[in-house]
Amino acid sequence: MRFNVLAAAAGTACLLLSPLALADKLDDIIASGKLRCAVVLDFPPMGSRDEKNEPIGFDVDTCNDLAKALGVKAEIVETPFPDRIPALVSGRADVGVASTSDTLQRAKTIGFSIPYFAFKNVVLTKKGTNITNYASLKGHKTGSVTGTYEAIALEKDVKKWNDPKGSFRAYQTQADVFLALSQGQIEATVVTSTVAAATVKAGKYKDLVIGGDAPYDIDYVSLIALRQEYGLINYLNLFVNQQVRTGRAQELNTKWVGGALPELTIKGVYY
Amino acid sequence: MPADRALRNPRDVSAMNYTFHWHQALEALPAMLAGALVTVETALLSMLIGIACGIGLALAHNSGNRLARGFATTWVETARNTPALFQIYMTYFGLGSLGIFVDSYPALLIGISFNNAGYLAETFRGGLRAVPPTQMRAARSLGMSAPQAFRLIVLPQLLRTVFHPLTNQMVWAILMTSLGVVVGLNSDLTGVTQELNVRTFRTFEFFAMAAIIYYLITKFVTLASRLVAARLFRY
Repeated sequence: MRFNVLAAAAGTACLLLSPLALADKLDDIIASGKLRCAVVLDFPPMGSRDEKNEPIGFDVDTCNDLAKALGVKAEIVETPFPDRIPALVSGRADVGVASTSDTLQRAKTIGFSIPYFAFKNVVLTKKGTNITNYASLKGHKTGSVTGTYEAIALEKDVKKWNDPKGSFRAYQTQADVFLALSQGQIEATVVTSTVAAATVKAGKYKDLVIGGDAPYDIDYVSLIALRQEYGLINYLNLFVNQQVRTGRAQELNTKWVGGALPELTIKGVYY
Repeated sequence: MPADRALRNPRDVSAMNYTFHWHQALEALPAMLAGALVTVETALLSMLIGIACGIGLALAHNSGNRLARGFATTWVETARNTPALFQIYMTYFGLGSLGIFVDSYPALLIGISFNNAGYLAETFRGGLRAVPPTQMRAARSLGMSAPQAFRLIVLPQLLRTVFHPLTNQMVWAILMTSLGVVVGLNSDLTGVTQELNVRTFRTFEFFAMAAIIYYLITKFVTLASRLVAARLFRY
């Protein structure tokens, strides 16, 4: 008799719990009513803080749109560039809306959506240096944020030029790079054109000027999630597509960056 | 992370949604060992500078000169009561804002040496007090000059007293070199590890390996110092 009651209870419990056992990240987000986005907040206009210290920017708005589409509340988790993936893997954030370049090397570890933005890189330098274009960086002290797309490309070129007076320094945050540049620790950096324009315009760091385009491939950036969360990644792909299709992406681009939304498709190949 | 998630994906051994790729990490081992060499070099150099400055500070503190005493006290108080991170950051960005440019590596070296000197000054001061003043007097009465007596009688006894605290500080110096990343250093063990991490996103493998390398280095230092101590201070 008692055994029967126990068995029935166990059976009921199994029935109740079994859908949970199949829950994936997308289910978890919807069930918890909360979407935690890893966003880099020293990377204006994509992510920064306003005078009230509230997170703002293209990436912040994109996260809010994503949360709205999912019908949940958005929560911004600030992560410096190197901490984006640890934040996802350790479960502190659900998705990364953090201008993450979609390199094949990284795709071995993390899952990328289709690109939601694309950057061109420019040289950012200080008034008074004789740096006018990318080639004139040779023999100068340069630096960038460790491990970013432009940092890898710049360090490679600095090594290739092999000028004893030239150097490359890797900093942990974008803010440190701008600080080092404005102080004169380094003479130039390579940074995405949108960030360069926003930083020069904001005027927080004095005497910074743009010194021409950097001849790198276009830097496509994607939303990121855990590699095995196909359900979530599928949702992110559709979300990016809808953002562009509905004109919302262009709206955000006008608000934060200005001009036309960068071309996000590549001619001659499927994603 | 709910426990039932582990049922869905049997490879989630760590409850962290992460599968370890040791192969990739092991391939980067030579680069990390080269970084470890820079780490050890920096720590050794900073110890040498720290010991020299530390003895100077301890003597300055014990001297009658008020200016020297004030200087030593300021140094020791700043070095011991502010974070090493702050000291290194100020050497780089703080001096930078005044137009004095110290490159990443020297900034790290100056920062750690400054910190070492502060701690070691106190160690040496304690060591000096442990040598009875009668030793100095006895040496002088045997006809030694003051510097001679200090070098031949006081210093050897002092070094014996402070040997183990010195080892401690060496371990501490090795670990402090990891702060170089905040001032843009990318050649030491932490710098190399962090760069590999952001390039590949294999965070846990690289940091686990770095932790093991740090552990082995410090373990080696403590063991070696124990052997040296056993040889030097037999009686």
